[in-house]
Amino acid sequence: MGHTATAQAGSGGLTATEHRLANGLRVVLSEDHLTPVAAVCLWYDVGSRHEVKGRTGLAHLFEHLMFQGSASVPGNGHFELVQGAGGSLNGTTSFERTNYFETMPTHQLELALWLEADRMGSLLAALDDESMENQRDVVKNERRQRYDNVPYGTAFERLTALAYPEGHPYHHTPIGSMADLDAASLEDARTFFRTYYAPNNAVLSVVGDIDPERTLAWIEKYFGTIPSHDGKQPPRDGSLPDVIGEQLREEIVEEVPARALMAAYRLPHDGTRECDAADVALTILGGGESSLLHNRLVRRDQTAVAAGFGMLRLAGAPSLGWLDVKTSSGVEIPAIEAAVDEELARFAAEGPTAEEMERAQAQLEREWLDRLSTVAGRADELCRYAVLFGDPQLALTAVQRVLDITAEEVQAVAAARLRPDNRAVLVYEPLAADGAEGDEGEENADSDENEGAEQ
Amino acid sequence: MSDTAAVTMTFHPRPQAGEPQPWAFPAPERGTLPNGLTLLRCHRPGQQVVAVEINLAAPLDAEPEGLDGVATIMARALSEGTDKHSAEEFAAELERCGATLDAHADHPGLRVSLEVPASRLAKALGLLAEALRAPAFADAEVDRLVRNRLDEIPHELANPQRRAAKQLSAELFPASLRISRPRQGTEETVARIDAAAVRAFYEAHVRPATATAVVVGDLTGIDLDAVLADTLGAWTGDTAEARPVPPVTADDTGRVVIVDRPGAVQTQLLIGRIGPDRHDRVWAAQVLGTYCLGGTLTSRLDKVLREEKGYTYGVRAFGQVLRSTADGKGASMLAISGSVDTPNTGPALEDLWKVLRTLAEGGLTDAERDVAVQNLVGVAPLKFETAASVAGTLADQVEQELPDDYQAQLYAQLAETGTVEATTAVVKAFPADRLVTVLVGDAAQIEEPVRALGIGEVTVVTN
Repeated sequence: MGHTATAQAGSGGLTATEHRLANGLRVVLSEDHLTPVAAVCLWYDVGSRHEVKGRTGLAHLFEHLMFQGSASVPGNGHFELVQGAGGSLNGTTSFERTNYFETMPTHQLELALWLEADRMGSLLAALDDESMENQRDVVKNERRQRYDNVPYGTAFERLTALAYPEGHPYHHTPIGSMADLDAASLEDARTFFRTYYAPNNAVLSVVGDIDPERTLAWIEKYFGTIPSHDGKQPPRDGSLPDVIGEQLREEIVEEVPARALMAAYRLPHDGTRECDAADVALTILGGGESSLLHNRLVRRDQTAVAAGFGMLRLAGAPSLGWLDVKTSSGVEIPAIEAAVDEELARFAAEGPTAEEMERAQAQLEREWLDRLSTVAGRADELCRYAVLFGDPQLALTAVQRVLDITAEEVQAVAAARLRPDNRAVLVYEPLAADGAEGDEGEENADSDENEGAEQ
Repeated sequence: MSDTAAVTMTFHPRPQAGEPQPWAFPAPERGTLPNGLTLLRCHRPGQQVVAVEINLAAPLDAEPEGLDGVATIMARALSEGTDKHSAEEFAAELERCGATLDAHADHPGLRVSLEVPASRLAKALGLLAEALRAPAFADAEVDRLVRNRLDEIPHELANPQRRAAKQLSAELFPASLRISRPRQGTEETVARIDAAAVRAFYEAHVRPATATAVVVGDLTGIDLDAVLADTLGAWTGDTAEARPVPPVTADDTGRVVIVDRPGAVQTQLLIGRIGPDRHDRVWAAQVLGTYCLGGTLTSRLDKVLREEKGYTYGVRAFGQVLRSTADGKGASMLAISGSVDTPNTGPALEDLWKVLRTLAEGGLTDAERDVAVQNLVGVAPLKFETAASVAGTLADQVEQELPDDYQAQLYAQLAETGTVEATTAVVKAFPADRLVTVLVGDAAQIEEPVRALGIGEVTVVTN
């Protein structure tokens, strides 16, 4: 399909050069002088899939510890120094990686590189019991705030546990369990750092108003002497059969404001054409206000307050297609389920129309342009393709790959995957008579979610 | 502490900053279309997704008695069908442009936000103009929106943060003021809304002469004047007198209201009062002082509550303009918000008040002030990287009757604000004995410890 919104829609103007230090650190640089800012992004190839039984949540807890100082940086210095330089920063942990990022005014770029190198090379010099105990409590409160104290808050965790079998590396989510968070020891954290936090297990990208030669010299200066380390074990195998083969189901009776039907469909791995086709299919079915499910459930049947599909792209395990329907007052789940199944079956049988393809691809293209509209967004995409697929240049052609998907491919993936025997279903029933949020699968170091802070 | 990794890398002294690059908040070009529509445009090279903000002078205060929520339903109904497209067709056409369109009603007025790739701006502006000029307001669509809105309300009340916000507004403001009641109406008022009420509200308050459009993005190769002439320029309407704005008053007698949530594992806290808005000279100092109190995790509140005690994932202090006019009758909400685990609710509040009292007694340090200024001013180029962030701020300025260069002036003022001014402003903004505290949590566990703090009379309401 040729519906592109930009002349160079393939890359959105993005270019990248690659370098590798002697210690194995991969570096990706991308120059853009429109605004005097530069983003630094560092992806470590470690996520919750690397965690072992009894230590769920350790990767994320550890990410918090990375903000508690390092050899040359006391206490909260990583935050203080970046913010004091007019920068912003955070870190997040997902199933497949942990990332740290700073966006700086151009003239403060060197500081961000120095800080990231300091903690990559010397975190353990500062890590102590006090920060461990403190951040354990902070993370437990993060869990309470984002999952345990909000309606439907544990849906993601429950559906993930259903969709990936016991013992599978993606069976548990990055936030981890309270019991495991309690059990994590300082020694666990030290071992985790020694195992995974090494230059040869990371990709560094720097994007924005930079002089590439000078930037590379700084990177060599600060990161170049950090020793590489090969102690890392590969994560447990995440591959699974293409389809689940049966409908998995859990019903929860809980204090929620309305009945809800949620489901996770097993989808192709990220990085494949089939995964891009699934993205287009889910967009047509459940992305936005002209989607098939919205039109059916919210507009016509008027049985739902909201209905849609999301997608969790995963490279090391099957991706998930994420259905979320909150029912209107008095509506029973079977009515919703029958309508959803009917729409999915019809879509699989008939395939998308040309106009549906055009709409979905236009939406996906705009989402991509949005991600590229900040230096931080670009830096993150370059790291993503470098870490998960071994090639940052793939970021430059990602949107073109989605736009190249054909209606036949969309129909094929829908027919193969969007079936009742390929999903885990979670049903919420309110406790009494019929009567949140955040990026799924991603935890942050800093809460910073309070809206309303204005200048 | 010894670790081999720590001694094998070469350490270098912390680098010094380079030469700062000049950056200024973008200055828009202001004009008026023949139909009276005010237009602000701003070219941002490289921003391929163009942001358009429309301000409509339809404040919630203008909603008829007993019809709270009619502005919200009208905002949503704008994109549910026009003289040329049915509701489903309209949504489909928008998404075909790769566009998103959101409309929401708030105290100062109604806001419609469009985002679209630059190459499809003309088509998307055509749809936006259609929605503003000739919304269908079909009975069936409005009825559906009303029922949908009624179904949303229980979800909002179940969310502790939103439940706290609703309670605080009801506590602070006199019941006679619209601002005391939920922006999007209650079950009782929303149920009364029909297509006739929506159309009447539209006819009374939506017209180009009192509207402003802000267009920001990479406009290279776009003949914006021609595009506008065919779209927003074709919207017609009469003129209207500006609506008088009632002053915002609030009762900030120190007190505590617990919204009981048996079994809650955390207590949501929202502690607030009202204060000056951006027309007041103190605003810059208040922004600076509030940042030092609770702008980030290294500010005073989180330094204790999060990084020392681990009671919370994060507590923030902020000032948010409620409604604001050039005549000085506006106000902002000054508040502290966050959640703390249930057993530590009493100790966390005790520490929070201790932070406020210590600040009042000892003031801010010069170092705190310097870091805050460096952050607030320094992050500007990052904060305004996208077209949407620039458009949002320009539209806020219009809505608050501020000059187009307000944000640029604010940065200059922040840089000149001293430690003493910032201290005075924040202490005045958050006086320990004039704060209304709303706690959404398990009353059986938190009521006694909270009473013991002596931060005001404690009442418990059922959820």
